[in-house]
Amino acid sequence: MVTTRRRPLLAGFAAAAAAPRIASAQGGEIKFGALYPFSGGLALLGDESFRGLEVAVEERNGAGGVLGRQIRLAKGDAVDQNQAIGEVRRLMSVERVAAVFGTYASPLSFAATQVTELQGVPYFEMGAISDPITERGFRYVFRTCPRSSDFGVATVGAVADALAPAYGVDPKSLKIAILHEDALYGQTVSGFQEQQIRQRGLTQVEKLAYSARSVDLSSVIQRLRGVNADIVLHTGYQNDIVLFFRGMQEANWKPRMVIGSGAGYSLTDTARAVGPAFEGVMNVDFTQFAVNEQYAPGVSAFVELYKRRYGSDPRSGHSLANYFGGRVYLDAVQRAGSTDKDRIRTAVLATDVAEGTTPTGWGVRFDEKGQNTRVRPFLLQWQGGRQVTVYPAQAAVTQLRPQMGAAG
Amino acid sequence: MDILLQLIANGVLLGGVFALISIGLTLIFGIVRVVNFAHGELLMVGLYATWIMATQFGLHPYVAALPLAVAFFFLGALMQRAIIQPLMNADPHIQIFATVGVGTALANAALMIFSADLRSVDLPWARQATDLFGLASVSRGNLVAFAVSFVATGALIAFLNRTHLGRAIRAVAQNRYAAPLMGIDVNRIYAITFGIGAGCVGLAAAVLAPLYPAFPTVGSFFVLTAFVVVVLGGMGSLEGAVVGALIIGLVESLAGYYVAPDLKEVVYFVIFLGILIVRPAGLFGVRGNE
Repeated sequence: MVTTRRRPLLAGFAAAAAAPRIASAQGGEIKFGALYPFSGGLALLGDESFRGLEVAVEERNGAGGVLGRQIRLAKGDAVDQNQAIGEVRRLMSVERVAAVFGTYASPLSFAATQVTELQGVPYFEMGAISDPITERGFRYVFRTCPRSSDFGVATVGAVADALAPAYGVDPKSLKIAILHEDALYGQTVSGFQEQQIRQRGLTQVEKLAYSARSVDLSSVIQRLRGVNADIVLHTGYQNDIVLFFRGMQEANWKPRMVIGSGAGYSLTDTARAVGPAFEGVMNVDFTQFAVNEQYAPGVSAFVELYKRRYGSDPRSGHSLANYFGGRVYLDAVQRAGSTDKDRIRTAVLATDVAEGTTPTGWGVRFDEKGQNTRVRPFLLQWQGGRQVTVYPAQAAVTQLRPQMGAAG
Repeated sequence: MDILLQLIANGVLLGGVFALISIGLTLIFGIVRVVNFAHGELLMVGLYATWIMATQFGLHPYVAALPLAVAFFFLGALMQRAIIQPLMNADPHIQIFATVGVGTALANAALMIFSADLRSVDLPWARQATDLFGLASVSRGNLVAFAVSFVATGALIAFLNRTHLGRAIRAVAQNRYAAPLMGIDVNRIYAITFGIGAGCVGLAAAVLAPLYPAFPTVGSFFVLTAFVVVVLGGMGSLEGAVVGALIIGLVESLAGYYVAPDLKEVVYFVIFLGILIVRPAGLFGVRGNE
């Protein structure tokens, strides 16, 4: 008697266990991985990057999703390289994602793409800038954002094409110093800057590296003062930028202009921590929000979406770059007609979007390596506590001011 | 010539900053014999506390220094009682794990609460340059930090030498088994010493807040240097910590200019090794005390 009573119960369990599987087999959802640093030191911009992707996905879901299915993002928290590998493995094996989006930080992207490539899972990079990510002959790694070398070209170009004319001097007469933190990011960008300076025949007077963990940059500043640098091209994180500007204030010295290379130079927090001395400082970075809407149509619509979703203004342009990238890739998956890796590759490489037609102003045209070639960082300047685009002319919202510091 | 003077001034003042952070560490190290790896995170908590007091209650960071030091005394004593005391007779590795755990927990708690943003106390006065007898230009905040580190060290030395409690603390440091025979409650001394060490960190945090922004990992930027300073000066020696801090500060400043900014750590670690070969117990350390 006891056994007969149990049978319907077991059957009930079996039905309950089978139910979700049937639902997913019917294809209600398509799952993608979102690999970013959500905790640890990189968490702030990792999370900001993720928000851009999330907005793109929600927008797409509102319009019916891709391949007729709703998109669901499975988050992976990549604090460091080891964890990036562990998390991306989990996303592929446990979550069974069709592709992975990421990553913000280059070292994490390096590590994770090694794993996805072996498994043949497409990896959609939207924020890591280190050049070699797309130069290793990987078939299923794609990148929509600019590379370090593009930052090198843009920072040196800013001196020769924008600043020198504004000063009314010959670019060769400006003494340029390169200052960078000594890890992968700083080394790579400064290397390209040096190369560009040489190629364009400009004058480099100093190249200094320091550890981003420094608590004092006074000797760096004395060196720059010693060579009487006009322009400092600085690649740094946040804390060291604050130390650099505070140190210059203490030493009562500053160059004519400092040009940053993204990251810490784009954050309002940095500007707030440095104070009035940050006014006029220039920066080369991904598209920010004060950009000519005619060249970047949809940028203010994105800000609106973002505000409605998160209740605050975007914290940096990283969200915008990921929103742009997310839209490009989701569109490609839709055109691919399936999640097959080779069909996705064909669809991604077939993408053709002109510059000046997207919310970042960037176009899309991938080369064989999977790198988008129609992207470049813009020249920005801190004016009145905001970062505004000043170069190139079609993206600019205002004139470049050749003055740095509160007095100007 | 004036660049050399400027570099020396920068180095000495940087040494003041290091000294301020190291005196608490050397006390705990030398007397409780616990390597407190959460020291940097305590500093981080102090920087956030100062920031909250300054931005929410409009308290001047220098005014916040005293209440913060007192609060940190109790926090330190509590930490010793709750976490270190049960492990006092355990293997030293276990104590290290415990303090590393506390540090990791604090850093990640800060990340959860404050996110990775920089929080900066706005005190432009402290960041302004002031002319030092026409020889060098230094920031006022650094001068304050330097002065506070000397006053705090002097006061602590006087306390350890002149008061009954201070003598009891030294007695425990010299022989933790003989001290109870003299009627000293060793566990109480440990809690008090840990409290004083933490109180020094609280003081340091308030004084440094106008100079350094707070973020979850800021502690790790300082703590390695603080350990070098403590070992260089001799564990448990306050005078040693100040002298060690000045040496490291000067080496950082001079090597950063004359060698290269990214090699300054190499230079001071070479000097550090050299000194330890000649004096294994540190500059002011007593042999056998390590």
